[in-house]
Amino acid sequence: MATTFKTFLNNDITSTKTLLHEAIPITGAIASGTYNKGGATTDTYGGTNIKNYAAGMFQSVYDYPYLSSSANHIFDLTVGYPSGSVLSGTAATTVQQAKKINLYNQMAQVLVGYDSTGSIRDFDEDGNIVAGGKKLKECVFINFARLLTKDEIKKGSFTLKIGTGSYATPFEDGSGGDGILTIKDSNAANNYRVNSPAGEYAILSATAGYNKEFSVAPACGLIFYQAGIAVLSSSIFQSGTHAAGVPTGRGILSSSDVPYTSTNAYFTASLTGSAISASCNYFRNRLYDISFNNTTELNSTIHFCRVNHNDFNYSSNPTYLSASKIRVKNNPLDAPISYFTTVGLYSSDNELLAVAKLSEPLKKDPTNEMTVRVRLDY
Amino acid sequence: MAFLDNSGDIILDAVLTDTGRYRLAQGNGSFKIAKFALGDDEINYSAYNKNNPSGSAYYDLEILQTPILEAFTNNTSTMKSKLLTIPRTNLLYLPVILMNNSNVNSAPSGSSELHLVCVDEDTVGRKGLEGFLVQSSGMGGTGAASEKVRGFLNGFQAGSGVGAQQYIQCDQGLNTNEISANAALDSDLYETQYIVEMDNRLGAIVPMAGQGANQYNVAGVGGVVTAGTFAGTAKVSFVDDDNIASYYFSLASDAGMISDLASTPSQSRVITGPQGTTIQFRVQASTELQTSTYLFEKLGSTTSITKPSGASQSVRYIDSVIKVTGATTGYSINLLVRYIKSII
Repeated sequence: MATTFKTFLNNDITSTKTLLHEAIPITGAIASGTYNKGGATTDTYGGTNIKNYAAGMFQSVYDYPYLSSSANHIFDLTVGYPSGSVLSGTAATTVQQAKKINLYNQMAQVLVGYDSTGSIRDFDEDGNIVAGGKKLKECVFINFARLLTKDEIKKGSFTLKIGTGSYATPFEDGSGGDGILTIKDSNAANNYRVNSPAGEYAILSATAGYNKEFSVAPACGLIFYQAGIAVLSSSIFQSGTHAAGVPTGRGILSSSDVPYTSTNAYFTASLTGSAISASCNYFRNRLYDISFNNTTELNSTIHFCRVNHNDFNYSSNPTYLSASKIRVKNNPLDAPISYFTTVGLYSSDNELLAVAKLSEPLKKDPTNEMTVRVRLDY
Repeated sequence: MAFLDNSGDIILDAVLTDTGRYRLAQGNGSFKIAKFALGDDEINYSAYNKNNPSGSAYYDLEILQTPILEAFTNNTSTMKSKLLTIPRTNLLYLPVILMNNSNVNSAPSGSSELHLVCVDEDTVGRKGLEGFLVQSSGMGGTGAASEKVRGFLNGFQAGSGVGAQQYIQCDQGLNTNEISANAALDSDLYETQYIVEMDNRLGAIVPMAGQGANQYNVAGVGGVVTAGTFAGTAKVSFVDDDNIASYYFSLASDAGMISDLASTPSQSRVITGPQGTTIQFRVQASTELQTSTYLFEKLGSTTSITKPSGASQSVRYIDSVIKVTGATTGYSINLLVRYIKSII
């Protein structure tokens, strides 16, 4: 009996899981608002790639003017602090205080969870919630789009570089040196936490190399891998001693470009004196770059198409015959030959569900056998 | 689709088809891969040069250099021709499927390859209104009438009433003069199942079983058009996301449609060698084509067609294809069909 199909047996189909990683570089030029020339909403590039919303709760960064359909959402930025922060309680002089508190609480309840009384926990500097310790109270949140993080950020791959010089020259330290602070999730592949309701996370630390003030790498944030959210402590921006004690850094808002006096022109001042969008602007101005590897979990089904020596040696191609005579044969004793370029995977009712193309034709005759391995990723 | 890079290792570019994604999304277990087939759509076997002076290693040089297109996701655009498994290796001839154009009842229109499906009563014609199957003045005997309406199908009431004897026929067998037509076709090449695929928006297959006794009715002025009983359309196996309906017919269960070709009169055969089977069917126009011009305006155009009386008639038309595939041997043929609707 002639046939055009071959049925898969149980041992012809197997499944597997693989992790696919992509390198994601985000340059500071994009984050700083490359397309926003002079702050205009429209320019030769078609507008800004930074999107603010009427509610003013966060700011979105795109890789192209967001009004264009070509634009991709890269990440969102926002800031916040809890009601227990030293910055809280100055509602009369604090801009958007309720929203900043709400944002901190929202992020904390999703990423850290609740204590036994149902109260929202604060972000913990070292992830040891039970032991108490230092809490991250005044924070910058970077929420990466799923377009970039895919299933999760690869542990140990996250690097964020930020300038901590003046506002005008953020990447210099004011004395001709390098003012760039590098923040990493160093060794996170072997040292991460699992006590978050939002998945795995690790400690971000400001690595040595910035300047004299960070001879050791202090913890300065958390990176939540599955959630795709980086939480940065405002302590990395502060000059002098923070109310919580550590660590110290260089103030980032000491420029005349910002409406603060030199005595309080630090990031904490921005948190109280500026709207969320303005704080995000100041942060973006100092963002040198971000890079990480994302992870896509591929679940694959592998179909082994076993073609035996006596299978598929003829063709129903109209050009295979000339007046019903097989073109590739001169007499009946010649071996039949066929060539295939495509593997079709069918349902039991003959519907074509998947198709695989070979990069070049393969010759099939009774003297050879082959197994074509077709992998379908889901 | 671009060509695949064939400069290095052999790679395999695999994708789900639109039907595969559709079934996956349904989540009802209908996405289950059960079997595979190999296709050779890009291969032109006429490039196989058995006379290459450099020897047999060079016979298929041109074939092996064929660039391959990336995978199509449209399920109906690929796997048009499949490789065939026949355990025997000593075959020199394989069967083909041909449209029967020698039988006046199944032949296409004129010298074209078109079958014209009259989609509504006005196009078919009725008492007092001349159409493509009904003439307002006498047309002579049945034979002459059949010749005049050659290739026209009654898509309004397929299988009944006027034009009931008109159908589409495809014959299978070895189309060669080198083997006697009286020789039996090998049993493993004898086609017993056919798959018929067509655009479900335009029409449906009407089986030959239940064929009425009505022959062509010559409806002169005051004549009578005998209306038969519409036999109903065949059961669709499935309709895919592109509205392509697939019908399965087998010799065992659809004897009225599929029959042994050797038993048909030799003068109406188109297969010159050993005879296989023949499949006959009619086409019923969809309700939308019968009652609306929407699809004609969207997918078709207008033209003039000469009626059997010689008069010219303006019609809207849609050209489509009905694909008939032998389920056993994999050979397929595309039949050109034109749905016509008179502009009254």
